[in-house]
Amino acid sequence: MITCEEVLREISNYLDEGLTSELRAQVQEHLRICRNCKVLVNTARKTLTLVADHFVMELPHGVSGRLIERLGIR
Amino acid sequence: MVSADNASDQELVRRVQQGENEAFATLVHRHERSVYWMIHGILQNQADSEEILQETFLKALQHIREFRGESQFRTWLVQIAINEARMRRRKYRTSLHDSLDEERDPDSPFRPRELTDWRPNPEAAFAREELTALLHRATRSLPKNYREVFLLRDVQHLSNEEAASVLQISVPAVKTRVLRARLMMREFLAPHLKLRWRDRFLARVQRRGRST
Repeated sequence: MITCEEVLREISNYLDEGLTSELRAQVQEHLRICRNCKVLVNTARKTLTLVADHFVMELPHGVSGRLIERLGIR
Repeated sequence: MVSADNASDQELVRRVQQGENEAFATLVHRHERSVYWMIHGILQNQADSEEILQETFLKALQHIREFRGESQFRTWLVQIAINEARMRRRKYRTSLHDSLDEERDPDSPFRPRELTDWRPNPEAAFAREELTALLHRATRSLPKNYREVFLLRDVQHLSNEEAASVLQISVPAVKTRVLRARLMMREFLAPHLKLRWRDRFLARVQRRGRST
């Protein structure tokens, strides 16, 4: 059984699906019984979803027009 | 001929290289938002970010013939943007500010403290702009080495290898930083997004109800 410490170290690779299937299974087994690590993984995953969906927004007014103008490619 | 809007980046780059500058406008429209918000994530102010956005695309246009397609156009563009933004930051910052911004003890493992579950649907609790502002505050709270890696990996969606090549650091260094950056982002967001006491209480009652 792997420890919370090891899960913490592998969270990022786990979310990126970059673990070997063996290590992945060990993490999943740990998450099944450890509530703290489960919360940690779920909220870390949610953090990435929120960033992917909401970080980039429209440009401030006028930025796009001034960019095209500066490039002289209108 | 594929219309500009449907053409791939690669195809558009090829057209620009053959002298069709209008194709560059499509590339600009496609990438300006994500490049702008990445630059803004580094420089934190609108005037500088706009100027660096212009410098980035200007440089890309001037050097487009040197782009050989070994990487994706987007990665190449991000590389230019990050170099320009770093140069601008260096111009402004005193060494005092820079040292304050560095991670004090990068080797000590990061200890998550907030271990309460989050509300099932945080998007519903915030207006869109509030949520974006919160995410920007969270990124701003990261030391700059972590912030850059985070923006490249989780906003620009570059791979570990691409981020390593843009920042000219090793892939293991990218992985170490992205782990810490993600945990720090999560820690910053947690107080805003976690279940309130009342909901936690109700969830506990429900769990107990199920187990009996």
